[in-house]
Parts: sequence; structure tokens; C-alpha cells
Amino acid sequence: MVSSFLSRGCVAKEHDLASLHLRRDQSLPVVLSTEVTSADHEGYAEGVVTNTRFGSFPHSTMIGAAWGSQIRASKVDTGSRGRKEAMNAKAKAKKRKAEALEQSQSRSQSRSRTDTHAGDEDAVAAAAAEVEVEVASSGFVHILPPTPENWTISLPHRTQVVYTPDYSYILHRIRARPGSRLIEAGSGSGSFTHAAARAVFNAYSATSGVESVGKVFSFEFHAERHRRVKAEMVEHGLDTIVHTEHRDVYRDGFLVHEDEENRDRKTSPQANAIFLDLPAPWEAVPHLTREHQDGKPSALDPNSAVHLCTFSPCIEQAQKTVSSLRRHDWLEIEMVEMQQKRIEVRREYTGLSYDGMRGANAYAADVDEALVRLREVERRARDFHARTLSKRQQANGQRQQQQQQPDVGKLPFNGGKLVHRTEPELKTHTSYLVFAILPRAWTEEDEATARAKWSKHVKIAPSVPKSQRQMKKEAKLKSRGQPQVLNGRVDGEMGETTTEKTNAGTGESTPRAEAEAEAEPEAEAEAPGGLHV
Amino acid sequence: MAFATIQPFQYVAIRLPSENIRVEQIVPNGQINLGKYGSFHTNQIIGRPYNLTFEILDRSEAQDGKELRIVSAAELHAVALVEQAETEDAPTPRTDLDDTGAQSTPKSNVNTHDDPTNQKLTMAEIEALKQDDLGSGKGLIEKIMQSHSTLDQKTAFSLAKYTLRKHKKYLKRFCILPLDVPTLVDWMMADREFSKIMEMRNEAVALVGCWANIHASDPVISLSEASQSSRYLVVDDTGGLIVASMAERMGILHQQHLEDGIAKIEEEDPDEQAEQPEVVPLHKDKRQQHRQSAMSAASNSITLVHTNQQPNLSLLRYFNFDPNNPTPSHPLYTNLRSLSWLQLLEPESDLTYQEPEVIAPEELANAKSNRRSAYYRKRRRWERVKTVVDETRAGDFNGLIVASYTDPVSILQHLVPLLAGGSQVVVYSPSVEPLVRLADLYSTARRTAFINAPAEEKRVPSEDFPVDPTLLLGASVQTARVRQWQVLPGRTHPLMTGRGGAEGYVFVGTRVLPAQGKVEARGRATRTKKTKALTDPDDEPSQLSFKKQKIATGEAVSAHTASTLPPSNEDLGVEPMIVEQNGES
Ligand SMILES: C[S@@+](CC[C@H](N)C(=O)[O-])C[C@H]1O[C@@H](n2cnc3c(N)ncnc32)[C@H](O)[C@@H]1O
Repeated sequence: MVSSFLSRGCVAKEHDLASLHLRRDQSLPVVLSTEVTSADHEGYAEGVVTNTRFGSFPHSTMIGAAWGSQIRASKVDTGSRGRKEAMNAKAKAKKRKAEALEQSQSRSQSRSRTDTHAGDEDAVAAAAAEVEVEVASSGFVHILPPTPENWTISLPHRTQVVYTPDYSYILHRIRARPGSRLIEAGSGSGSFTHAAARAVFNAYSATSGVESVGKVFSFEFHAERHRRVKAEMVEHGLDTIVHTEHRDVYRDGFLVHEDEENRDRKTSPQANAIFLDLPAPWEAVPHLTREHQDGKPSALDPNSAVHLCTFSPCIEQAQKTVSSLRRHDWLEIEMVEMQQKRIEVRREYTGLSYDGMRGANAYAADVDEALVRLREVERRARDFHARTLSKRQQANGQRQQQQQQPDVGKLPFNGGKLVHRTEPELKTHTSYLVFAILPRAWTEEDEATARAKWSKHVKIAPSVPKSQRQMKKEAKLKSRGQPQVLNGRVDGEMGETTTEKTNAGTGESTPRAEAEAEAEPEAEAEAPGGLHV
Repeated sequence: MAFATIQPFQYVAIRLPSENIRVEQIVPNGQINLGKYGSFHTNQIIGRPYNLTFEILDRSEAQDGKELRIVSAAELHAVALVEQAETEDAPTPRTDLDDTGAQSTPKSNVNTHDDPTNQKLTMAEIEALKQDDLGSGKGLIEKIMQSHSTLDQKTAFSLAKYTLRKHKKYLKRFCILPLDVPTLVDWMMADREFSKIMEMRNEAVALVGCWANIHASDPVISLSEASQSSRYLVVDDTGGLIVASMAERMGILHQQHLEDGIAKIEEEDPDEQAEQPEVVPLHKDKRQQHRQSAMSAASNSITLVHTNQQPNLSLLRYFNFDPNNPTPSHPLYTNLRSLSWLQLLEPESDLTYQEPEVIAPEELANAKSNRRSAYYRKRRRWERVKTVVDETRAGDFNGLIVASYTDPVSILQHLVPLLAGGSQVVVYSPSVEPLVRLADLYSTARRTAFINAPAEEKRVPSEDFPVDPTLLLGASVQTARVRQWQVLPGRTHPLMTGRGGAEGYVFVGTRVLPAQGKVEARGRATRTKKTKALTDPDDEPSQLSFKKQKIATGEAVSAHTASTLPPSNEDLGVEPMIVEQNGES
């Protein structure tokens, strides 16, 4: 099964997770369905219906719609529904209201679609509950494809979650990329999990032929949270990318039971990126080493550096983590704090002409306007003295009229002054982010092998294109004379090493040696010394 | 993985003891000169892991062709480990550190450290030592330690700490970091002309990538199902940084081949090991080895629209890709497509879009070979341009990223319509003003005005509507910035200085498809029902917008004429509330 987070068609299909955008920062995640499976959805003639404060939306009106479409609310028949009294009363009240406001609508409009994608009609026909749905007089949502971003703001909260400004930076810094193998603990509400899955995703299974299939290994010791995250991964089509594990990682580390059949066998996730959102990350650090004293396999990728991030709200936690990372040979230890601001963009209306309008500043726009107003007041004061009492009353009436008049008008969308400022709700601290890197292990033998292969002087292939076959042949010819066995591998360059030995220790780059009497053309790379670019 | 070990011809970042970064290409048999820190042969680091710190050995120390020493993590952390041992209860697993006596009081350290007369070597002597054969930092430290009058077991490590801190600058050490996008950004920020990448920090790079929902696609699924998979549009004036960051997120930036080539051949015939990797980046001829032609990938692709005839993607060379002379084995060869604004908007005016004259097969058969190949080359280029232009104009892209000096309004005017519904639009700007304007052009108030405007005023672009405000939902502007901390026992605090300059802002919106015909919003009226709403159970505040609730109360319907496009729900409850109107958009 594919995930609508990662591979989606042009239209929303049944079983897809969709994000119904209600208004800013408010969206409702829904799995589109035609089958009534839960009691919540029973009793509608229209099949499965999602109710929002902006109306009711039978899934049949959304399945087959192009992603991004604006979907009208429908009038749904709640007659046969035996819901709780309060709910029922409210729904009825709403319905009455809707009916009162209803204007004549043609039924056919309910099927109007904005998109023109071929095949939509089929999808609609196939998926729709077989009841004609009547469009409500008002209300709509936008049906958006799910993203980790909109999921994060609408997911069911079970714990504190990591939001976009933090997780984007974390994933960037721990090099979570297509093909990465990422450990996450704990899963919590699964916010980070979704973003991590997107970052490492490069295939749903190894059969896609990619070299290293990106995976997330998500650990959680709270049974219910683990169960929820696991179920979510299935529901979102991410279960082949995210492996969830019920585990106390402080005690039992990070090896996984990937094989459902064989629960006793634990394998290494071979992780190269790690994110720890736990109360005591330093308790988990001893499980993240290259070697274990008890001979257990390492949970880390033996062939690459491992990037780690821990996420702790308190400075003491971060300090303890840093200390333990130092003790366990982690390098490039850094700590940062993320500070995000959302900017409110608005128009500011200042001027006496806006007097009485909501949201405007009834101050003079400039000194000239102030002068005009002041002169006016002066003039009126003079008039006042000159007038009789009855006339004064009349004037009062006039003024009241004046004040009410602007209320009718609307602040112009293109008037006033465009300004911006930080939004009122400001998160000033989320957590301390500790980053570290553990390079891959490098033994004396590894070094000896590398040194043998990359001896003083190696030959560089010609820039003239050659077929692989041709090159292979040449290479064979060359090495036939002096085969050298190194760590069980035949290494052709050893021959070079011996010829170059004379130059060892001079500390200079060997010039193109005459000794390399091979017949093929050679391109010698220049020592790049100042190749600083 | 691309960065398992240092590969020949890879570009790497070399971090010096001064914390400065240098970027070098690791050409085999070469030598890299680090100035006062010494020099080393590239063959000494090729095939070794990244993120290690090497120390350049003195000639007397070098043996068996070994010119570098890997500095252990414990040695690198010596200073901090000692301090930790001194101040923390937790015992360190390293016995050698434990032995130094966790009991040593800070007081004795003060005495030992801060009295400069304890240090018998003068600066002049240190200078002399540097000239000496024992010029490596290690030797220097040893000398100083030997000559230190109060040196004893108890303070041995404290002393090491002291000398390390004081004389770090003499150490002939360097660390090799893989050159990927985060490192490239760090380097551009610290050591290069930051303005070349529009002062885009890693925070912004990360935010942009996530909000634009850039990700890889499954190679099999994207071929089979009729799913839109990872086709992104981009306008990039950062010299290719944006393109690189997208490509990195899509898994098409780092050439696996550099290493894969070796690995594969190793199995069949190990003799070619040293030769194989060079073949990839060096030779320029394409078609011979590669069936796929340039810019041919439809999915998992980046389509770049550029201002000049040729795109400026100079930073891509650090990933071994030269767009003017692309290497066919590089994933970007097929997956990066580019076209100019002229080709996109007025292809008829572009010469390369015009079909070259067709030469009859018989005539061609008799033609000289160079004329024939010129003919084929021309046709191939035309086919490529035509495919890219036509497919781009057909739209249905999955996302758009803009980081450009060109007015973003004009860019969005042309590119937003090319996006599939539900895709993200993200614009980066070093300063906030252009994005403020953009947000205003997609504000709820303006959208409502557009929807309610009489048909003849509903023109895009026009003065009031340079872009169609109904095509983007939830336009917002944000910024993010990290603050760095020093973490040391008893001395943890934010860094005292940082880099000023551009803050860096990100605009985000979602492409939507407005319903045709009349759509009325439903929402909560303002003012009149305010008090009632507080008790309305339906008004449960959401986590993020709880404060908005006080405005969004009651119910209301705004009427629109039958032919108009719909307003969004946000239009509701906002009529007189300008604050809310803009806050919503
Ligand atoms: C703050 S939440 C993680 C939130 C998550 N990062 C997200 O974005 O939704 C921390 C989680 O770690 C889990 N946890 C705490 N200690 C653990 C342990 N020793 N092993 C596994 N999980 C643990 C808790 O149950 C909790 O669910």
C-alpha cells in the first residue's frame, strides 16, 4: 500500500488520509471511506459523513475530488440517527438555521467539480455512496493532501510534540535523507515520526531496487502510545517505512525485532541518524556505541558516521546529555535553541476619515489632517456661541449621524499602510537541541588496507572515454605481473606502491613517473595545492 | 551511502584549528597546503572515514608512509573531560581520567593555571619550538608539560587542558567533513560571501524544504501509478543552493556512483579499483555510456526557471555537477531540467524551441559525418527543449520554491497556476518586505474583494490583483533562528556573539482549486454573539488558535452573487475586523 503522504494521485481516493482545511491552523485529518465502520458514522443516508463547524461533508463528495479542491458542505439527513440528546438538539438547530438561509440550489450542483482531470468522473461514480447528496446553502472546506506539517497541527495529542521549526532543523542537521536509517525514541504522538518518514523515504520496499531503503525505527515504552503510533502507520500507509517497537530503551537498547515470525531474534537497525526525545537521553547513550561489552551487535550503521540529536526542555538535561556524549566518544557536540516567529501581516488604518470604523486608529493621518480637524472644531465652537439652543440640538443630531455613517463602509483592502509584526502567540522556548556525531570505527587494519590501496601514487584513469570492458582488460594485463594479496583481495595498486617506494618520505608529490610505462594514455591529476575555490 | 569514506574527486570541507573551513577537491596524488598548519597528501585521507581529526606528523614521526595520525575522541575532549571529572559526580568510564583524581579542587587549579610565572617557556621559546623538528602541537605540549614546575599527577590533565586551550592554534590538526548542503551553508556563512546564497541559513534551508514538502519518490510506484511524484518547480538566485538542497532531499544530489562503481567492480575484477572512480567525474562524453538523455526524468525531478539564457548553478560543482557540461552519470543529469522565462512564457520567441529543418534520410546518408552529427545534435537539443518546455507548461507540479531577487509577485503570477492542487508554495527572502507584500496580495480581504468584484474588474494581473488571490490558501510568513550555546561544566551559556545580517523569512501558501459557481462561507458572526459564544461547546479552542476564538463566534453567511468565485471561511467573521482578516491570511 502506498501512502497519500508520499505518493498521491491527482484526486483523493478512498482510504487516503486527507487534511480538511477549515481555517488557518485548523484542519481535520480524515481517512476517506465509503464503508460505515464505526458507530459514529451510522445513520446517515449519505454514508460516511464528517461534520465540522463549517458544515457536513459526506465522504462521497470528497472521494474523487482533485486534491486542493474546495468542497461544498452538504445537507445531510440525520433523521435516523440516535445520537446523544445534546448533539441531536444542536444538529437540529443548525439544520433549521441552514434551511432558513437556504437559497434555491439545483441538485446537479452537488456534483460540480472544479478539476478537469480525466478519470475523476469514474472515481466519483465508483466511490460515491449511491445517494444523491444535496448541497447545503453555505459552508465549505478545502481538501488538502496530508503532509507532516498539516498532520502535526491536527494530530491527536498524546504527549508534547515536536513542531515544524524544530523538526525541520533537526532532520536537516542529522542528515536524515532518502535512504537514511533513523532511530527515534520515544514515538510520543508521532509528530516527528511522520516528518522523519518523509525525510528518509526512497522506496516502499527493497524490491524497488534502491540501494538502501530508508527506514525509521520508532521506540516507545508506553504501551498505548506505541499501539496508537503503530496503528497510525498502517492507516497512513507508512508501515513499510516506519518500524515501531514497544521498548524501554534505557533498559533494553535499540536492537529490533524486524522479523515478525521470529520474536527472539533481534537485529541491528544499522542507524545513521538518531533522534532522542526522552526525559533522560543520557540513559540511552550507552546503548548507542560502536561496540558493546556484552557482545551484542551495535545498533549503528558500521559504514557511516552517525548523527544524533537530543531534545530536552531543561538545561540540566542537556548538560547531562552532553557529558555522557563526551564520555562515549561523540564528536562535534553542539547545543542550540530554536527560536521561531510567525509574522502577522496586516493593514493599519490611521486617519480621521476612518473615525468610527473598527480596527482603525482614529488619529490624524498627518499634521495637515489634524489642522483641518482643529479648524473645524474651532469653527463649530464659534457657531455654537452664535446659535440658539434649538439649533444646538439639531447639530447634535447631525453629529450622531456623522459618527454612524462610516460604520456602513468597509476598510479598503488596498488602503491604509501595510505593516507586519510578530504574532501574539510566541513560543519562546521549545527545547534544547544537542547535536553530536560519532564517526565510523576505524581500526589499525582498516588504516593499513586504506594505506595500501591509496599508496604514495596512484594512477588516474584517462579522460578519454573507454568502455568498462576495455578498462578491465587493461587493468588485468597490468596486474598480471605483480599480483598482491591484501586482506584476501587482489589489489592492483600494490604494484604501483612498490615502484613508488623510492619516493617515500620525500614528502613531495611524485611527478609523472617514467616507470609507469603502461601503454594507455594517462591523465595525471595536478596537485591541487591552492585549488581553493 | 555517499559519505561512507572520503572518495577521490569528492569535494570536502576541511576544518582547521582556527575553526575556519576550507573546501577542497580531493584529487588523488595531490597535496593540500593548510598554510601554517602544514600540508598533507590527499592519498593519506582518501578511503578514510569522514569526521575524523587528523594530526600532521613530523617527519621524524612519520613511518611506513604514514604521515597523519588520527586523534582520538578522548584526546579531543581532554579539556572538557577533565572539567567534567572535576565537577560532576558521575564517574567517567575512562580509567586514565579517573586516576587523575576527581578530588582535585578547583582552588588548586586556579593556582596552577592562572599564575603565568608557572609557565617556564616564554613565547619566544614557543616560537623557537615551532621552528624545531618537534614542530607538531603534541611535541610542544609535551615540552611545556615537562618544563612546568608544579606539574604533578593530580593536575596532569588540568595542565593538558591549559596547554591545549592556550596553544590550540599551534596544533597541526584538521578535520575532514563531508561537503553536503548543511556544511556548504555553514561554510558560505562563515567564510565566504554569504550574500551569494542570499544569506540563507540552515534554519531557512530546512524550513523551506519541509514546508515545500520536498521528498523523494519510489522509483517503481512513480512509474506505474498515475500518481504525481515529486515534480518540483524552482526559481533560484542562490547560485544553486536551493536546487542542491532540494536534490539532497530527493536523493539525487550525492553521487553514489563514485563509490558504487568501485564496489561493483570489486566483485568482478578488483584490478580496476583505483581507476574506476576517476572515470566518472573526468570524462565528458555522454551518450556512449548512458542511454538516458539529459533532462529526461519526469518524476523525482526539479524544473528550474531562470532569468538569463543559462542558469547560474555554480555551487553544484561542489557536488561534481557542472550544468554547462553535465556528467551523465550524475543523477541531476536527467533529473534537473531547466528553461528560461522566455522559453516558458513565449516559446515561439525562443530559437531553440523551433524545430530544425528536417533533412531527408537519403541526403543525410550522403552527408559528411560532421554535418550529420551536427544535424543530430541539433535535433536532439530541440527535442529536449521542446519536451521540457511543453511538459512544464502543462503544469501539475507538486511544489514551488522561490529564492530570487526578481519580484516574487511576478514569479508567482506565472508559476502558481502551474501547480497541482494541494501543493505548497514557498518563497524565501532575506528581508521581510517582499513577503509582507506577497502575504497582503493573498490576504483574505483581498480575496474577498476579488470574489465580489464585478466581472470586468476581475482581471489578473491588474493593479489591485497582480496575482489571483483565490489560488493560494493560508498564506503566512515566518522566520526561525537558532541560538547557539556553550555547554561546559559550570560555564553553560549562550554564545556571546553571533552573526547579524539578514534574518531570513519564509512565505508559505497552499495551492487550491476554488470551486466554480457560488459558494457561501459559513462561520461565526462577530460582535453580536460574542458573549454567547464563550459557552458554545462547539467553540473548543484548537491548540494553535485559541485566541482567535473570541473573534470567530456566532454564525454568519456572506452573500455572493451567483457568478462569483467563493470566499474562504476565513472571510467570515472578519468583515469589520481588519486585524483578524490579515491574521487569517
Ligand atoms: C515528548 S514525547 C515524544 C514526542 C514525539 N517526539 C512527537 O513529536 O510526537 C516522549 C515519549 O518518550 C516516551 N519514553 C519515555 N521514556 C522512554 C523509554 N525509556 N523508552 C521508550 N520510550 C520512552 C514517553 O512515553 C513519551 O511518549
